Amino acid sequence: MATVDVSEHADVWVFVEEHDGDVAGVSWELLAQGRTLADELGEDLVALVIGEDVADVGREAVERGADRALVADDPVFEPYRADPYGEQFRHLVEQRKPDVVLIGGTHTGRDFAGRVAVPAHAGLTADCTELGIDEDGHLEARRPAFGGNVLATIKCERHRPQMATVRAGVFEPAAPDPERDGEVERVDVVVNEADTLTAVLERSVGETVDITAADRVVAAGGGTDGELDPVLDLADALDAELAASRKAVDEGWVGHDRQVGQTGKTVRPELYVAVGISGAVQHVEGMNDSDVVVAINDDPNAPIFDHADYGIVGDLFEVCPALADRLRDADDPQEVIA
Amino acid sequence: MPDRWTVVVGVKQVPDEDDVSINPDTGTLDRADAAAILNRPDRNALEAALELKDEVDARVVAMTMGPPMASPVLETAVAMGCDDAVLVTDRAFGGSDTWPTSLALAETANYLDADVVVCGEETTDSSTGQVPPGIAAHNGWAQLTYAEGVEALPEEDQLAARRDVEGGYERVVADLPVVVAVAYGENEPRPAGLHRKIYAETEFEPAQVDADDLGIDEDAVGLAASPTQVGGMETVEPVDRERERVDTAAELTERLAEEGVV
Ligand SMILES: Cc1cc2nc3c(=O)[nH]c(=O)nc-3n(C[C@H](O)[C@H](O)[C@H](O)COP(=O)(O)OP(=O)(O)OC[C@H]3O[C@@H](n4cnc5c(N)ncnc54)[C@H](O)[C@@H]3O)c2cc1C
Repeated sequence: MATVDVSEHADVWVFVEEHDGDVAGVSWELLAQGRTLADELGEDLVALVIGEDVADVGREAVERGADRALVADDPVFEPYRADPYGEQFRHLVEQRKPDVVLIGGTHTGRDFAGRVAVPAHAGLTADCTELGIDEDGHLEARRPAFGGNVLATIKCERHRPQMATVRAGVFEPAAPDPERDGEVERVDVVVNEADTLTAVLERSVGETVDITAADRVVAAGGGTDGELDPVLDLADALDAELAASRKAVDEGWVGHDRQVGQTGKTVRPELYVAVGISGAVQHVEGMNDSDVVVAINDDPNAPIFDHADYGIVGDLFEVCPALADRLRDADDPQEVIA
Repeated sequence: MPDRWTVVVGVKQVPDEDDVSINPDTGTLDRADAAAILNRPDRNALEAALELKDEVDARVVAMTMGPPMASPVLETAVAMGCDDAVLVTDRAFGGSDTWPTSLALAETANYLDADVVVCGEETTDSSTGQVPPGIAAHNGWAQLTYAEGVEALPEEDQLAARRDVEGGYERVVADLPVVVAVAYGENEPRPAGLHRKIYAETEFEPAQVDADDLGIDEDAVGLAASPTQVGGMETVEPVDRERERVDTAAELTERLAEEGVV
């Protein structure tokens, strides 16, 4: 099997995922972490921007830490489709030989990454939560395995680029600095609409929320049976952001952008309240870094209690309102004096 | 394009993740006792494939890559209603990461003249989700991942799917051949019928193919062709939680106040 000359490859690339000009938050998180890796390697940080009318996104990537933004700007790229994006990316990798490529672990990012690693014969590690550089200058991509009980380190020593998808919420986003210098370079578009294999018939996307920045999170699970009022009321009393298990998301009760877990987001709030959530490994992985965890569940044997600091065994439809009342009372100075 | 579609479903045997545990004394992983089961998201893939069979009379063939030991998942697939099943097995495949795995499965799809390949969203043991796009990329085919519902358009030789995307959904139509990864939990997998079950267990034998049958150079698969290597596994100390049961809202509020979080 042909191996590549790894020394020919340089620079850390971050795929800036945008849809209609809106950038996925995880892209700015990766730009911050990419800056750290590029500095450690003594290489440039390059933002890869693909879309239509995305020069502004390229400029913002420079403001947020990129030395250079490569912009592939063409109507063929809006909205996202795996095949034209993959083809454009393959071309750029062949031409410019990046060392490291980071992609957000969103549905789009994972669709895209899986597609591009094959033609590039790149090593691709999924859903990383830590990234580092070893003493030989190889990327060390770490990801939880077996429900977060194990952290596996994946390396790719003989192939380039070293690619990783990274979960949303594990790194702090890079802040923009309008003074920052850098180059926005338009690259040749190598994709033709006539050659594409897919067509997007309809796309319906609402505002997305960012639960990863919240100090307090109240998450609803299958136990709510879609009746979210008690959970929303508790979130209100705590001034917390609403999140959810995958069950609640799959049932359509809560939007996917609020999903916590392996295939959702990683949150690290001061307080995490799991309401009617069983505590499946895939869920716990996304909330294990919370400071204090509270579980409300009517099944005393639910695994969530093993991952909680405080647990109440009870019906969420009784416990949530009682807790919300109590918290509101505690806020009331009269009550404190009394 | 063919009169009758061939739909190939990729399935995998995995350890039951609820059985994989950390031995608290040694801090090591206990997966030896874990039962081998059909990867749960693959049940959704099988259901989606069998719905295509109902819809357009497609021929549905299940494929799995692994040692002969892995073939019970093919029996499950046949019991659910797949017409046939293929075990993709060769020592040369040992140690494959997602790159060679998707190559072997892409070649199997070619070997079976697949029009549609249906997979689960990801496996519960390695959870990369990279194999379905990998199969599509190896063959230069279209892909539809995170598919919530699949609709056959046989007149146009196309398949449409509703895809789950951040903050919403989209509907995408793809030319055949196409690889579909079905979002976990998006349909109700049908139970196996009693007669099919008996047939799968007693009479059915899956066909076997190896690297040679698929025209795969042994150097193109296995550990040597895998770009990634596992450089180490650290057991992570489980997060130390208080695990305290409280009885009332008042008591809980008190504790949270002590913690300084309310
Ligand atoms: C590939 C893959 C990826 C996945 N990714 C994720 C992920 O990212 N995030 C995630 O969360 N899951 C994920 N899952 C799903 C996960 O395995 C579980 O199915 C899911 O987390 C279950 O959600 P739940 O606990 O809310 O619902 P359920 O399993 O339905 O549990 C409901 C809980 O509520 C309790 N309950 C019921 N009624 C009441 C009541 N009235 N009062 C109080 N308690 C009540 C029950 O005792 C039960 O414990 C994934 C699964 C797979 C296979």
